[in-house]
Amino acid sequence: MIQYIIKRLLQTIPVLIGVSIIVFAIMRVFSPDPAPIVLGQHATIEATEAWREAHGLNEPIIQQYFTYMGNALQGDLGTSYYTKQPVTQEIFSRFPATVELAIAAILFASFFGILIGTISAVKKNSIFDNLGMLLALIGVSLPIFWLGIMMIIFFSGTLGILPSGGRLNPLLQPDHVTGFYIIDALLSGDMAALKDAIHHLILPAVALGMYSMAIIARMTRSSMLETLEQDYIRTARAKGISEKSVIIKHGLRNALIPIVTVIGLQLGSLLGGAVLTETVFSWPGIGSYTVNCILKSDFPVVQGVVLLIATIFVFMNLIVDIIYAFLDPRIKYSKKGD
Amino acid sequence: MRKHMKLVSMVLLVAMCVFCLAGCGGNKQQQEAAPAAGEAKLSDTLVFAQGAEPRGLDPALVDDGESAKVMANIYEGLVKYAPDSTDILPCLAKSWEISEDGLTYTFKLQEGVLFHDGTPFNAEAVKFNIDRQLPPLVTEDMGYAGFVFGSVDNVEVVDEYTVKINLKSPSTPFMANLAMALGAPIVSPTALQNNDNNVNQAPCGTGPYKFVSWSPSENVVLERNENYWGTPAKTQNIIFRFIADNSARVVALTNGEVDMIDGIDATVVDQIKAGQMTVDNIEGMTINYLAYNTQSPVVADKEVRKALSQAVNVPELVASLYQGYASEATTILPSFMPGYSAEVKQVGYDPEAAKAVLEAKGITEIHVITYTNPRPYNTANGQTLAEAIQGYWSKVGVTAKIDAYDWSTYKEKVKTGDYDVCFYGCNGDNGDPDNFMNLLCDPDPTMNVARYNNPEFNALIAQGVATANGEERNALYAQMEKIVAEDCVWLPISHAQVLSAYNPLVDGYYYHKTAVVFFSEMSKPAK
Repeated sequence: MIQYIIKRLLQTIPVLIGVSIIVFAIMRVFSPDPAPIVLGQHATIEATEAWREAHGLNEPIIQQYFTYMGNALQGDLGTSYYTKQPVTQEIFSRFPATVELAIAAILFASFFGILIGTISAVKKNSIFDNLGMLLALIGVSLPIFWLGIMMIIFFSGTLGILPSGGRLNPLLQPDHVTGFYIIDALLSGDMAALKDAIHHLILPAVALGMYSMAIIARMTRSSMLETLEQDYIRTARAKGISEKSVIIKHGLRNALIPIVTVIGLQLGSLLGGAVLTETVFSWPGIGSYTVNCILKSDFPVVQGVVLLIATIFVFMNLIVDIIYAFLDPRIKYSKKGD
Repeated sequence: MRKHMKLVSMVLLVAMCVFCLAGCGGNKQQQEAAPAAGEAKLSDTLVFAQGAEPRGLDPALVDDGESAKVMANIYEGLVKYAPDSTDILPCLAKSWEISEDGLTYTFKLQEGVLFHDGTPFNAEAVKFNIDRQLPPLVTEDMGYAGFVFGSVDNVEVVDEYTVKINLKSPSTPFMANLAMALGAPIVSPTALQNNDNNVNQAPCGTGPYKFVSWSPSENVVLERNENYWGTPAKTQNIIFRFIADNSARVVALTNGEVDMIDGIDATVVDQIKAGQMTVDNIEGMTINYLAYNTQSPVVADKEVRKALSQAVNVPELVASLYQGYASEATTILPSFMPGYSAEVKQVGYDPEAAKAVLEAKGITEIHVITYTNPRPYNTANGQTLAEAIQGYWSKVGVTAKIDAYDWSTYKEKVKTGDYDVCFYGCNGDNGDPDNFMNLLCDPDPTMNVARYNNPEFNALIAQGVATANGEERNALYAQMEKIVAEDCVWLPISHAQVLSAYNPLVDGYYYHKTAVVFFSEMSKPAK
């Protein structure tokens, strides 16, 4: 197992190098020159040239890449061209917001996805099944930004029960410990901040989790249908085990492997920043921030974020694979030749 | 194994319970939370929502309007703009004298003013701030240093509260530059020294509000400066929230989460009014125009340009595209700016005459480039505008071939000069007429997109810069407007209105023409 994990970790290195080369090349080849964007409309041609020189943009791309990677390996991802703040600081001041939202969304999606999928499978072809799958179809098809705006108009505008956006009332800000407001509020025992943070989280988490919920519901349904037709389920029923126990302990548990894969991959992509959701709900995460940086040709930030997202995605895959072993004892990560 | 399953199930269940409880209790909690917070703090707080985050809060290091709105409440300059125009009033300088030759500006400073860090404001502070934006200290990322202080030769401290600024050559726009929210505001020298000459994250000025916190991508919080030298601000806290989505910003206003919003366009005005909110529209310091490339063989002939302009019904175009939220531009300068002249006339709408000339000159095709993004001076975006004009030209037998690009790419295309007609605009910086008119003599083709080069006009620009404010100077700009109108270099289209909206409970709402908003006079009754 340990060897397997080490092997997988080593495999991430070429993946990350590949990603870094691609993003580096794309930004430099296709993005507009950052100098006029950074220096503004009144910059002189000499100032623009001096800035490019100072930021190494006149060097050959390959040399720029090696300089960048050399610094990156030492933990220096550079400084944002636009705000002049260190990239690591820019990313990590926004990343907790993205993580908090992604986790809330995946919890929502997993709970309802598995619930709907299981009911649909157990009550196959019933009204529940049809309704559940209709909901899944809607979840897959609805554009997030439209759903988000409709939710804002209805829940914030018409009903006025939930805030339209943002992460917290700034006057209720708990002491900064982890950057996760729910945890920070709990740690400082500030119930008003906790309530406010949860209120702000509901709409974006539901909007963001809707698609994942639909995917998970579909996967649960098909996996459960397959499992429920297995011989051991018939055996379990024949032994007189209660239906609830058959479905949950024998059915769901065995059906869980593909579902966990989907949940893991969905979480990976949600952590990559939910650009549209973050924009619509003014959620201060890295998704919307990165898009702004792409538009401003802020190379160091975009490179840093893409590397971070790629790393997260690779690790989510790894974690999913490891969880398999816990869920299904039949899976073993054996050494080659065993 | 069972343990793991149970653990996973429990975590999911608890999380969902928290969600559901929070959701079900939403209404009640919200109603409870608001008054509780209101009694403690909210009556002392105004919330302003803008579309984007400031770039930073060091006036020398940023160039964007979103930063300017926040900084205008933290910092002050030597002078400031009058509330409803761009006339100059005293601020940190209580009086000034300009030498006969226009080269020496002597300012008498307010006494007893403290920066937010407790250090005194004095002539040394003024010198420190200007010197950091002059060679040899200026850095290339000080976007407005050249614009604001480019004419300055040196700064002398005469005594603690008198400072003398010597210019290299007379520059009348210099006074207007000193009122700007970018470049000109005075920062605490101590704060700059303590922060490596960059107070983007730790702003420290003399203004009515001082900086409290900045949550990235989320909000900036300011609080009242209790030691302010002038009339203290009425409201204790100001929160700037960043809400990128237009619809979400409008909902945040109408459901009471925020008190004021800006960055809106005509499409949401009805929704705002239906929500019982007040829309504020002021004529903006902008010009939206069509420019003929005077270097292009197709439109090098003045008669051709005139005919093409005559084919466009500008009043009808402006009314239909901007739904009443932009006024027809009959001049380059907006009507509130010095130098504006009502006597200037652009060519009128005359499609018959246009058709005859264009036929005679054999003009059948025009290459147009434009931008696809909405701009502050053209909320309808350049492509929509170009297509509308394409329609007018097709009626006089001219086919316009339009290439539209996103803004960044567009600017690169403009640089190449490969077009007959392009669309552009200008957001004024300092309220001085030179700011608009010198676009037509700028050697940089991305500024002077018409690539106009008229020695007579250029001489007038130089004369305008050196002439003191007054009737004589205004007449020079009127003359420049006439030359440009006569030469049909631009077809001025519209002056956009600056739209913002606020809760009618807010008293003293003040959104300036320079697109900054001042909060010190604003208040909202406690609930």
